[in-house]
Amino acid sequence: MPALSRRTLLALMAAAGSASLVPPAFARGLTDRRFIFVILRGAMDGLAALIPDDRETAGLRGAILPAESARLDLGNGFRLHPALTDLHALYGAGDAAFVHAVASPYRDRSHFDGQDVLETLGPAGTRDGWLNRALQAGGMEGLAVGYALPLALKGDGRATNWSPPVFDAAPADTLERLADLYAGDPVFAGPLAMARSLPDQEMSASLSRGGPVAQYRQALGAIGELMASEDAPGVGMVSLDGWDTHANQPGALQTRLQGLNQGMVALKDALGDRWASTCVVMCSEFGRTAAANGTRGTDHGTGGLAILAGGAVAGGRVHGDWPGLAPGALHEGRDLAPANDLAGLLKGVLRDHLGLDRARLDSDVLPGGARPMDGLIV
Amino acid sequence: MSIHAAIATNRFGLGARPGDIETVAGDPKAWLRGQLTENAAEGFPASGLVSAREHIRDFYDYRLTGSARNQSGSEPQVDPEAAARYLSDARRTIVQEIQARTLYGESTDTPLHERLTRFWSNHFTVSARKFQTTPLAGAYEREAIRPNILGTFEDLAEAAIFHPAMLIYLDNWQSVGPSTRPAERRGLGLNENLAREVMELHTVTPASGYTQEDVTEFAKALTGWSVGNPRFGQMRKGETLFAGAIHESGARTVLGKRYTQSGGQQAKAILHDLCAHPGTAKSVAFKLARHMVADEPPQGLVSKLEVSFRTSGGDLTALYETLIDAPEAWEAEPRKVKTPDELLTSTSRLIGLNRTLAGDARDVFESFAQSPFTAPSPEGWPDTADAWIGPDSLNKRIEWAGRIAERFPTLDARQILIDGLGDLATGATRQAVARAESGSQALVLALMSPDFQRR
Repeated sequence: MPALSRRTLLALMAAAGSASLVPPAFARGLTDRRFIFVILRGAMDGLAALIPDDRETAGLRGAILPAESARLDLGNGFRLHPALTDLHALYGAGDAAFVHAVASPYRDRSHFDGQDVLETLGPAGTRDGWLNRALQAGGMEGLAVGYALPLALKGDGRATNWSPPVFDAAPADTLERLADLYAGDPVFAGPLAMARSLPDQEMSASLSRGGPVAQYRQALGAIGELMASEDAPGVGMVSLDGWDTHANQPGALQTRLQGLNQGMVALKDALGDRWASTCVVMCSEFGRTAAANGTRGTDHGTGGLAILAGGAVAGGRVHGDWPGLAPGALHEGRDLAPANDLAGLLKGVLRDHLGLDRARLDSDVLPGGARPMDGLIV
Repeated sequence: MSIHAAIATNRFGLGARPGDIETVAGDPKAWLRGQLTENAAEGFPASGLVSAREHIRDFYDYRLTGSARNQSGSEPQVDPEAAARYLSDARRTIVQEIQARTLYGESTDTPLHERLTRFWSNHFTVSARKFQTTPLAGAYEREAIRPNILGTFEDLAEAAIFHPAMLIYLDNWQSVGPSTRPAERRGLGLNENLAREVMELHTVTPASGYTQEDVTEFAKALTGWSVGNPRFGQMRKGETLFAGAIHESGARTVLGKRYTQSGGQQAKAILHDLCAHPGTAKSVAFKLARHMVADEPPQGLVSKLEVSFRTSGGDLTALYETLIDAPEAWEAEPRKVKTPDELLTSTSRLIGLNRTLAGDARDVFESFAQSPFTAPSPEGWPDTADAWIGPDSLNKRIEWAGRIAERFPTLDARQILIDGLGDLATGATRQAVARAESGSQALVLALMSPDFQRR
């Protein structure tokens, strides 16, 4: 796939709206770093992706886990699911890390409310996304791969989305006339202004045909391609759907983890040299029950898994606290406990990787008093 | 006034066909009320389409072809050829279902009835994205939703939630009471997916303050509601049935009320109370007002609908009549941006489905990210403009309009404005179309005008 041209992305960003409040030199200094946030929608089973060696594991869910001998040992009490071979290699090379038992402040078990909280991370009623607020704080631009702009990137900061074209672009004159027709329209005027300078069809990625393996690989490859060039946006986002494994989980999860594994490779390859200054954070709205349910699956839970990858990550480690799986340690007697605060994890990454100001993080980007997690970034 | 005819056909209906606005102008409200009859449900051409029951039978046949369950009870060995045949049949089925529904949208004389069918089908989503529900989603809409949208909310909810497709989609068919013998012997157990989504999405919503304990209790009450597999005999295979052997017996407490019924009636008694809960009236009223009038609907309209729902015991026909009578629903300015499905349907009613799909239905559906029956989750498709109009999705709409204009340059955009929008076409849109540099540019401007993009 040819790279997106530098000209079009610059135009895209110029069209994206409000002037930055941050001095240009500062903003430019930050943009050689890349931060990519990936939501695994539907609640990935973290305990099957990164399997603890704990005594209780077999009893709780042995029947739906891959055989112990096939798991990829990290040598520290955790083993990766066998589908995650390349992620295992990245971990070995110091380019991947994990935080287990991580959770947003949300404690109920609705996907939809849980994803809203994960994407807003503000007091009740917050309408904009934390990632958009981070753009504003850092004077950066954001870009999502997909047919819609996700909630995390919605807000006053400069963000847009990209999906592969299907038909030919409209002539400039037609767009000009539509812009006149949309003048002052609250729904259509803004998006058209951005659409008029969207990428000029040089990418050939497809996003929706094929199963999860192809989908995840394509989406992660596309965001890498879009963010590789020098002038690309500093912040990217991808949503990977389909992790709600209530029944017959082993096969479904195997496929999805394969897709995630191949997607990581596609992303790294597409970013090229930029990988060295990249941090990817992947997580779900919540985790799944510690025990298997009655249908060879797992139900909605609490503590989940965050996957960190990229050359900027302090890799080869499982960061944060591990609450264990003993009966007394489980949240409400059923879920992996929320031992690590997701807002704190993100705050640590935004501070140490993108250089965002701590006071601004606490007041605007991720209010609510979470302490930044230290040591996640090299 | 003919603006009321334009509103009736576009906001309440699925978009005006040439001549519709004139036909309806005599009495738009009577035209709408006249669609709220059982006959409208029967107008859907289902011939050639296969029932959910038959599809589930096929599913079991494929599961059992050349397979034998081994002693430890693990997954049956599936014959790859049978699996491939099942998958290709399932894909063919969903394409047939999409075709039938899309063609009906283009031609139906009762578009309000069809809009409401699609609204409820989305409210009680069964998505074809799951392997087992791929062939079932269309049949589910025809069997559970379409015939039941004029009765009570409870009847509709019961038809939807206990339809085999829903029991499969939200896993209840495999949920087993934890203290039953099959649970103890074969390591099976509870799956709370259906219970949670019924409370969260279909009825009372989280605003009612239910707890995890309420969800678990309702899930236990729902155990046993399953789908007939071959062990129940040929007669019951593929049907909803209540299997007492996997039902968690005993009294249950949900939202503070104790239910002592035995067997399958217990879940129905709980569902009855969930449907009658004030939280359900509130959420249904808001959702319908949002769908019909505005993303942030007028509070007066929401209140009227809520009162109607509560005082009528959830009578849906009374609810629609309240909506038709409400002045808030007839304000001249259109405030709803069309979803992709609404944009395609209304365009097909004006210029025909073949032109609307511009030669490749799959490309269009993919580009618009809303193929029928494939909502991303049990929450269904979003119903607000911000979910559907962004830079990229707006660009996709413009490219689609350009494709139609390129392939069918003789379509007359001025006539399309008159036929489709009547008095809803603003001066700005008429002027832009009149001044276009070519017929095909005029068509793009007409289809992409804020007037035609809204309803």
